[in-house]
Amino acid sequence: MTNATIQEIEGIDDYWGPAFRSVYEGEGGHEAFVQQLDERIQQHDKEIEKLCNFYYQGFIDSIRELLQVRSHAEELHAEISNVDANVKESTESLCTRAEELIRARRVELNIAATIEKMELCLPLLTTYSKLKTQVEAKRYYPALKTLEQLEHVLLPRVGPYKWCAQISSDIPRLRQAIQDASMADLRDFLENIRKLSPQVGAMAFKETQEMLGRSLANIVKSKKDDVISVASRENSGPQCPHELVDFSPLHRCLHIHSVLGAKNDFVQYYRAQRKQQARLVLIPSSGNLHDSIQSMKSYLNAVLGFFILEEHLLTAGAGLVSRDWLLDTWSMAVTKVASTLRTNTSLITDPTLMLSIKQQIVLFINALKCYGLPTDPLPLLLQEMAEHYTEVLMQRWVVVFRDILDNASFLPIEVENQEQYDGVMDQFPYDGDELETQPFPRKFPFSTIVPAVYVQVKEFIYAWLKYSAGLGLGGGRRAAAARHSASLLLSRSFTGCLSALFRRPLPLMQLVQIIVDTQYLEDATLYLYEFISNITGSELVTTQAAGSMFQAARDDAEQQICENLEKKVDEFLDLENYDWLLVEPSGQASSFVTDMLSYLSGVLTSLEQLPTRARVAAVRAATNRIASRLRNLLLDPAVRQISSGALHQLDLDVIQCEQFAAGEPVPGLKEGELLEHFASLRQLLDLITGWDWSSYLHDVGIEGGKYALVTPRDAATLLEKLKEAEQKSSVFSVLKKNERDRRKLLDTVLKQLKQLQNQDG
Amino acid sequence: MAKTYDYLFKLLLIGDSGVGKTSILFRFSEDAFNISFISTIGIDFKIRTIDLDGKKVKLQIWDTAGQERFRTITTAYYRGSMGIMLVYDVTNEKSFENIKNWIRNIEENASADVEKMILGNKCDLDAKRQVSKERGEQLAIEYQIKFVETSAKDSLNVEYAFYTLARDIKAKMEKKQEASNPPGNRSGVHQLKDSDRQRKPTSWLSRCSLL
Ligand SMILES: Nc1nc2c(ncn2[C@@H]2O[C@H](COP(=O)(O)OP(=O)(O)OP(=O)(O)O)[C@@H](O)[C@H]2O)c(=O)[nH]1
Ligand SMILES: [Mg+2]
Repeated sequence: MTNATIQEIEGIDDYWGPAFRSVYEGEGGHEAFVQQLDERIQQHDKEIEKLCNFYYQGFIDSIRELLQVRSHAEELHAEISNVDANVKESTESLCTRAEELIRARRVELNIAATIEKMELCLPLLTTYSKLKTQVEAKRYYPALKTLEQLEHVLLPRVGPYKWCAQISSDIPRLRQAIQDASMADLRDFLENIRKLSPQVGAMAFKETQEMLGRSLANIVKSKKDDVISVASRENSGPQCPHELVDFSPLHRCLHIHSVLGAKNDFVQYYRAQRKQQARLVLIPSSGNLHDSIQSMKSYLNAVLGFFILEEHLLTAGAGLVSRDWLLDTWSMAVTKVASTLRTNTSLITDPTLMLSIKQQIVLFINALKCYGLPTDPLPLLLQEMAEHYTEVLMQRWVVVFRDILDNASFLPIEVENQEQYDGVMDQFPYDGDELETQPFPRKFPFSTIVPAVYVQVKEFIYAWLKYSAGLGLGGGRRAAAARHSASLLLSRSFTGCLSALFRRPLPLMQLVQIIVDTQYLEDATLYLYEFISNITGSELVTTQAAGSMFQAARDDAEQQICENLEKKVDEFLDLENYDWLLVEPSGQASSFVTDMLSYLSGVLTSLEQLPTRARVAAVRAATNRIASRLRNLLLDPAVRQISSGALHQLDLDVIQCEQFAAGEPVPGLKEGELLEHFASLRQLLDLITGWDWSSYLHDVGIEGGKYALVTPRDAATLLEKLKEAEQKSSVFSVLKKNERDRRKLLDTVLKQLKQLQNQDG
Repeated sequence: MAKTYDYLFKLLLIGDSGVGKTSILFRFSEDAFNISFISTIGIDFKIRTIDLDGKKVKLQIWDTAGQERFRTITTAYYRGSMGIMLVYDVTNEKSFENIKNWIRNIEENASADVEKMILGNKCDLDAKRQVSKERGEQLAIEYQIKFVETSAKDSLNVEYAFYTLARDIKAKMEKKQEASNPPGNRSGVHQLKDSDRQRKPTSWLSRCSLL
């Protein structure tokens, strides 16, 4: 066993524990083991000795060899040190080069990287600068596009540089600036078209005028002109009114706002602005349009220009102007225009101005039609203006008529020679067959006012028709209206002037002539109608207006003639100088009565030219006045006494007057009709002078009685006067018997008459 | 009834057409003037009451047409006239020469004792004058008629002329009345016959003497 352990130990390099345990636990203990071990060692020593002996030589050789190696090694070492030094020496520069190279490489890489980055940034920067220049050049729309590109393409592509952030943050500001600037542009544009729209309107007016004046002849003529001036026309200005305006700013603004996504806002803004402008345009800038045609023209120009531009925008179709909006704004505008024109034209008193304004409105309407804008209520306005125009003309002609009448002599026209005769005949349609044969001087039946007024009425018709020209009315309608206006002029204006004439008292002869003249004027109406149908080219209308145009004037004149005669009668009767206590009548009529009657018959003969109606009225008025004045004289309370002598004198005078009345001083009277004016006076005189009291008192109150027209009151009044006179004449004399009887009868009659009066109440 | 006048004188204006008869009368009756010429047709009259020595004198002045064609109508009025104004136009020689013819007319048609006066009208138109004042004077003296130059336009001597003529008529009338003294109530149709005789001693007396 011990041997085994040693072997075990020798065989195993470690894990000697069991071996050692067996040592300890084995018999013989450890001494055996040590002994064995010693033995073993000795054995090994022997073996080593043997081994050493065996290898010794080799060992020595090896040492020797080793020593040799040592020298070699030293040699090598030196050599290597040498080489090392050499290498060291030669690599040192190499190393610095290499380091330089490395650094350069690194720089190179950096540069490349930078270039790469820079290349990414460059488009952004150029775009940005482009943007700047675009903004500067106010090319806002491209600027916006650039901005877009910048924002959405270029910026994301480039890294998160600080300056990029700056640009990014700049973008909204730029965008705002562009919007602001484009708004400013819009305002400039608005301002600009405001200035231009009158020119636009003016051009449209001109075009319309040219169009209206278009006729074959004109076209041919203008074509000829065109050939001549074709070169110069090549680059002549705008062909259409709206071309006067450069709309590009507006369109740019619109694009910009579309890009900005604010198109709707913009459209709204634009419309609101324009509406406001429209309001301004509609208020006439010069205040009074009726001052001159120029201010009227510029007003209409501005309005028309405004809407032509809007209409153009509508057709251009950018959506800025919608048909609804345009029509809505226009209807507001046209109402305002109409009312402005109405107020302004209603103040005009100058017919020429009225005509020019009418012409302007007609052009306006035509231009509106061309641009498809509704014209109502302008045609109505033209009609109203026509009425006003007629009024204005009539006022004018009132002055003319007044002038004619003021300077009229109201004497029949007398011509000395053929030339003068022809002059009158040229002016007035008179059937001169009879006059033709008479020697010079020839006398027309009418006065100068007849041809003068006739000529003026023709002038009026000319002037009047000027208005209706170009209104598109048919000849028939124009003629009818002209006839109406002409008769209105005569029946209102001229008659009005005549009436004014009658306000001051006129000499009889003038009144007569006026009546005659109006007759001639009235008869000439047919010729006026003919004249109207000739110039309007319509059918002749021969029906005369119902009633007499001048009847009112004639009535006035007749009335004045009557008053005139009555006044003369009054003047004669104021000359009355009755001696109311006359004892013995002279046997002759009083001179004032004879003067008066001869004057009257003289006047009545010179009234020959008067229509019967007027003469009859005149003589009636005169006789009636004579009768009533004489009767009043008799009953005048201021005359207290009347002698029978005086009564007979008056009776004589009344008889004169009655003879005059019975003598038919003018033809056309009913038999004895004038005498009737004297009837009551005659009955009174007969009663008193005939002393026929019994039959009077008997018949009193019976119709148709001999003294039916004598009232008890008048009879009593006169009887009292007679009584007074008789008492006075008998103051100094003793009454005779028959005188006493007469006095008694007188008293009785008076008493009865008083009773009758009381009965009557 | 109280009378409105003491005397009534009928006067007549004659002369060529256009000399200003109507204008003179218009000036005298209305104190106005009208530049336009409306030739008179036939005859017309105006009445104006004037005061002469405390007497109310009514003048009925007949204005005749100067035109030849009315001669017959107008001549009829000569007879009743108590005074006649012969009017010519100092700017119209012819109208002056015609005065002689008008005087002849008067002699043939008016009563012999009619008072006359010659008026040279339009004396305001000195620049156009054709008839000197002296020639007018000369003619008047020849016929023993009073003469004055007038202007209806400037109201020169118009009043004077009518007053003078009226005064002469009145004087002549009163002289006649004295001649047929004592004056009766038929001394003249145109003389006053006051109904209120109690207040008029002369009338009273005349009445008494008659009874
Ligand atoms: N300058 C001037 N013109 C006068 C004067 N008197 C009359 N006339 C003018 O002369 C013209 C004729 O005047 P009338 O008074 O109508 O003449 P007349 O004498 O009545 O004429 P007949 O009626 O035709 O007889 C009118 O144009 C008057 O204005 C005057 O004193 N001076
Ligand atoms: Mg006259």
